[in-house]
Amino acid sequence: MKKFTRLSMLLALSVALNVIEASLPLFNGYIPGLKLGLANIVTLFIIYKFNLKDAFYVGILRVFLVGILRTGLFSTTFFFSLSGVLLSIVAMYLSKNLFKLSIIGVSIVGSIAHSTGQVITSILLLQMSSMIYYLPWLLLFSIPTGILVGIICKQLVKFYDEVLSFE
Amino acid sequence: MNKNDIKLIIIVLLITISLFSLSLFQKKASIANVYYANDLILEIDLSINKTYEVEGDNGKVVIEVLDNQIRVVEENSPYHLCSKQGFISNSGQSIICLPNKIIIELPNNELDTEVS
Repeated sequence: MKKFTRLSMLLALSVALNVIEASLPLFNGYIPGLKLGLANIVTLFIIYKFNLKDAFYVGILRVFLVGILRTGLFSTTFFFSLSGVLLSIVAMYLSKNLFKLSIIGVSIVGSIAHSTGQVITSILLLQMSSMIYYLPWLLLFSIPTGILVGIICKQLVKFYDEVLSFE
Repeated sequence: MNKNDIKLIIIVLLITISLFSLSLFQKKASIANVYYANDLILEIDLSINKTYEVEGDNGKVVIEVLDNQIRVVEENSPYHLCSKQGFISNSGQSIICLPNKIIIELPNNELDTEVS
């Protein structure tokens, strides 16, 4: 029961982060799809402190909630987010267990997977093969945003281990 | 951050650079096709500097051609993504105004790419 409470609080946090980051467009929207990926902090945290199944639950529920609140359910943005989230969870889980990456490296992998998933979906869904030209830009920016998310998540994991686990 | 993280970053940077250099070898387009939904509504010669107007779902979309480049100057949409995108000139590129259902595509036509 305690785990459910924590996961639902994390879900609420990820939705809040998603809404906050939507109001902070990077480069004024010149590169569509470019964002900080703050909600990925929560996904990464769950992969480290809970398990893969919980990460999928929270990730998918987040996409649905953000869809209802902001972008519209089953809109193109909705499918972009969904594919990005699913691919990034799988990639982060695999890279965490297969390679000796720190939490920052895993976060970069997640960020890359998110962008790649979105580009692939936009190519399939909108038949826009030219979207592939955005990929290098998104890849380039996924390094700094991935590092940022990784550092925040590292602190969060530390805080969780030191403070919350002794309740 | 550990050694493997640095390796990862270097690999990603290399992939990025190679993808960027691929786009450098793009050919310049000579014509542009404008579609509304799936219908071709206008063919534009990129060698003539001119402004065009087409009707989209949210009203008129103003397209400008300047020095073999094409862009959307004015359109009505929530985020103005296609006017923010700016000029495009390489074949294979496109500007998509989704709310207006207007698509500008630079085709990969090999027929008349020999620009003197």
